[in-house]
Amino acid sequence: MAESRPKAFLAGAGLVWKWQRLVWWIFAVTLIFGIFSTQGMVERAGSKLNHSLASRRLVDGFDLSAILALGTLPESPLQIEGPTMLHFSVVFAIFMLFATGGIVATYLRDEKPRTGTFFEACGYHFWRFVRLFIYLAIVFAIVGGIGAAFGPIYDHINENSISPFPAVYFMSAAISFVLLVLMIVRLWFDMAQVVAVADDERRMHQVLRRAAGLLRHNFFSLFGIFLSISIIGSLLVAFGLYVWMGLLSPHSIIGAFLLSQLLVLILIGTRLWQRASEALWYREHAEAGVQEPAWTPSPVIVSSSVATDPAS
Amino acid sequence: MVLARASVVVAAVLALGIPVFSQAPSQQAVASPAPEPSGAAPKTLSTRVVSYSIDAKLDPAKHTITASEMLTYQNLTGQPQQTFPFHLYLNAFQPQSTFMTEVHLAGTRGAGPDSEWNPKHYGSITVDKFEVEGVGDLTGKMEFIQPDDHNPNDHTVFQVTLPKPVAPKASVQFRIVFHDQLPKVVERTGYAHDFDMVGQWFPKVGVWWKNAWNCHQFHATTEFFADFGTFDVKITLPQNEIVGAGGDLVSTVSNSDGTKTVAYHSEDVHDFSWTASPSFTVVEDSWTGSQGPVQIHVLMSPGHMPSASRYVTALKGTLRLFDQWYGPYPYDRITVVDPPHGGADAGGMEYPTLITAGTAWDTPKGLLAPEIVVEHEFGHQYWYGMVATNEFEEAWLDEGINSYTEVKIMDALYGKDTSALNFPFVQMSDTAFERAGYLSEPDMDPISRLAWQFIGSGSYGDVTYGKTATMLVTLEKIIGEDTLRNALHTYFMRYRFTHPTGEDFLKTIEEVSGKDLRWYFNQAVYGTNLLDYAVSDAHSDPLKWWEEKSHFGPSRKKDEVYRTYVTVQRKREFVFPVDLEVKFDDGSAATEHWDGQDRWVRYHYDRTAKIVSAEIDPEHQITMDRDYFNNSYVKESNESAVYKLRNIWTFGAECLSQLLAWMT
Repeated sequence: MAESRPKAFLAGAGLVWKWQRLVWWIFAVTLIFGIFSTQGMVERAGSKLNHSLASRRLVDGFDLSAILALGTLPESPLQIEGPTMLHFSVVFAIFMLFATGGIVATYLRDEKPRTGTFFEACGYHFWRFVRLFIYLAIVFAIVGGIGAAFGPIYDHINENSISPFPAVYFMSAAISFVLLVLMIVRLWFDMAQVVAVADDERRMHQVLRRAAGLLRHNFFSLFGIFLSISIIGSLLVAFGLYVWMGLLSPHSIIGAFLLSQLLVLILIGTRLWQRASEALWYREHAEAGVQEPAWTPSPVIVSSSVATDPAS
Repeated sequence: MVLARASVVVAAVLALGIPVFSQAPSQQAVASPAPEPSGAAPKTLSTRVVSYSIDAKLDPAKHTITASEMLTYQNLTGQPQQTFPFHLYLNAFQPQSTFMTEVHLAGTRGAGPDSEWNPKHYGSITVDKFEVEGVGDLTGKMEFIQPDDHNPNDHTVFQVTLPKPVAPKASVQFRIVFHDQLPKVVERTGYAHDFDMVGQWFPKVGVWWKNAWNCHQFHATTEFFADFGTFDVKITLPQNEIVGAGGDLVSTVSNSDGTKTVAYHSEDVHDFSWTASPSFTVVEDSWTGSQGPVQIHVLMSPGHMPSASRYVTALKGTLRLFDQWYGPYPYDRITVVDPPHGGADAGGMEYPTLITAGTAWDTPKGLLAPEIVVEHEFGHQYWYGMVATNEFEEAWLDEGINSYTEVKIMDALYGKDTSALNFPFVQMSDTAFERAGYLSEPDMDPISRLAWQFIGSGSYGDVTYGKTATMLVTLEKIIGEDTLRNALHTYFMRYRFTHPTGEDFLKTIEEVSGKDLRWYFNQAVYGTNLLDYAVSDAHSDPLKWWEEKSHFGPSRKKDEVYRTYVTVQRKREFVFPVDLEVKFDDGSAATEHWDGQDRWVRYHYDRTAKIVSAEIDPEHQITMDRDYFNNSYVKESNESAVYKLRNIWTFGAECLSQLLAWMT
């Protein structure tokens, strides 16, 4: 089992690279949604900034007071696009829930994701994944409750210590614990999705039970892959943010755009790397020894104008 | 009082940092004997109306103080006085007080509207005995009064009527035995862990001002007002407590019961406050100004030691510039108290020769909140401490003037564009920070409003600090920065150790500048009009616009004359003269000066050049202008700023999408 870690870990990256069109599809959708969700703000801000010398305060450096001043105007172009941003983000999340079936099937089958077969897989598994999402929401709510329970403990430590550090250390530990639990839950449900696609299992509670069993018996192997990829992605994003905020010239608009989109690509890439590694791991270690996903796409009937002569 | 405003800056940037343990061994204050008196009577700085002698004992476990006070009051009112009002500020920390009622309605620093009552925030001051020398026990004659709102449950002011009046120039001695219950700190005074900040803790007589007693109730948005005099205070407390106080340490005596008694003396001040905690780390330094050396005592709380050097550096720079620009600092000491974690509401406050600062364990160097707090609170030694204006009725005279001198000094010490935030990816000046406060509530209340009559604590803060500072920065445009500095110097030198009014301040500015500025003060100080001038139109047309143009050949003929129109509009009611600078594409420029009286004005220019840009207030001095973005028009569109904002917004939206996708 231990050997599987480097194999699935590295091969997962290879799989993502091999079928990188998935990354680009998701990135394109992310970017389009991102642009749509900010379009209103851009148009309103443009009418204020494009012909104003005061906009230099945002270009030569980044004067926070200029943003604050824009925000306090009665017809503020920066009225936070919170609702719009949130709406598009929710729609994107639903899109990803839909697309996950196709993504997992692609990695399990290790076949070129043609549009037709991809979306057929997406549709085939969508409602199963909706049901899985409901279970996930319940589990996340429980984890959230555990996290909230740390609040009174933090308050108590805060109340009783003149030094800030006991409470800071406690909160750091609590946050780390909650993040760890969230990651384990995410991995559990990732594996459940893999099992659902690989075994064409319709019963989600069965899927969850099997995924839990896999996770329990192979925790360090699976979680090691998941955590390693998360750390790599986080470090890359952190470095990218440092370059953007600390090193890139404030006048660099295109450079900043390219860098920010590279960071988004890294986020998408690392997430798909996790999915690919999980799928590969399952192919190698599933109990039934399934080499190919049980589900296959519907046969394609091709009509031919050439008459066949059984005798020829 | 600026910590709440500094907290906004803190909230604007994520804090990074490395924890630093700070449990250096505690040091006890060292006793120094009082200096031998010289033969001649020392010259006093102020008219000493009051002389307080207080013996107090602190119980740090219960956070209570038992004390006796001898107050000698000199009747310099010119009239016989029979009734004397006193402040009992600590009684504000009770649920039915005027203070708490207003906090619940409209908030205050440290507590928002609709705050729930926490019993730990209960505070009180109870007079056990009130005697008058030569008269006897008048405890039963004490009556609570509520001159501002007639709230019978408010006990922050009481008065006593003597059987006989005190003649003019005579003095009267009050002997008052009282005890305090300090609240868990919610506003300035109280305790947090083993830290006790003891301010407004003793019965304080009101001020005879403008021919009447001035003794307001304590409100959510008011501070204090008192007469100058001397203070001799003895504090008995456990030996492990480290004490900081607004006075010179006279002696420290160890007692056999494990306590010690520290004695302080302070003169030509109008208040006395102190603090105690066994957890302080003491940092000593000194600075020498035009009046001689000033001892700097900094009392740092656990976890905050990285900010100690920042406090000291900011303080020394502030001492130097105040000394240079406004006048000498006459005291020989200044104590800076750093409230501990959980005691931030005691921070950002001023008392004569003692200030409370504020920081956090993880305050990055690019966030200049500790520097701003120290600068601001020290500034109050001048505007409030020595120029002792009535903080109830004219809060802008201390908070506003101090906010103005704060931005000038912060800009001088830390850079004009980086005096509040100085990170590679974001910057902000302190002037802009104050302006941002003004812009958030620019027209609900005039600067001159009585402090407790603002619509809410937000407007009080934004107008009193932000709008006043912005108003004074804009005033530089009319009379010049140097002239305004001279005016402040004159105002300080003339009115230090007295109780001037707003009109005294404004008249001093007019006197020094030699200009009639009523038109400005009536709008900016006493009114709520908004100032907003805009370039509403700027374009160039061929002068012979009726001639047909050839579709072939150059689109612009050589020597073709263009008529350029620039329209400047006054969008709001505030009238202010503005400069206009128009630039053309041949490198030439035109400057206009408009009195701003009418609603609009239009200029035109006939030149062989087309307009490039038109800008009102090219030197950016009219900080009161509501909207900088409409002050200029550039013919050539430049979308860089919008694209930059779009980059940030789009990235944020994409990250949010990825996060939600992760959760599904």
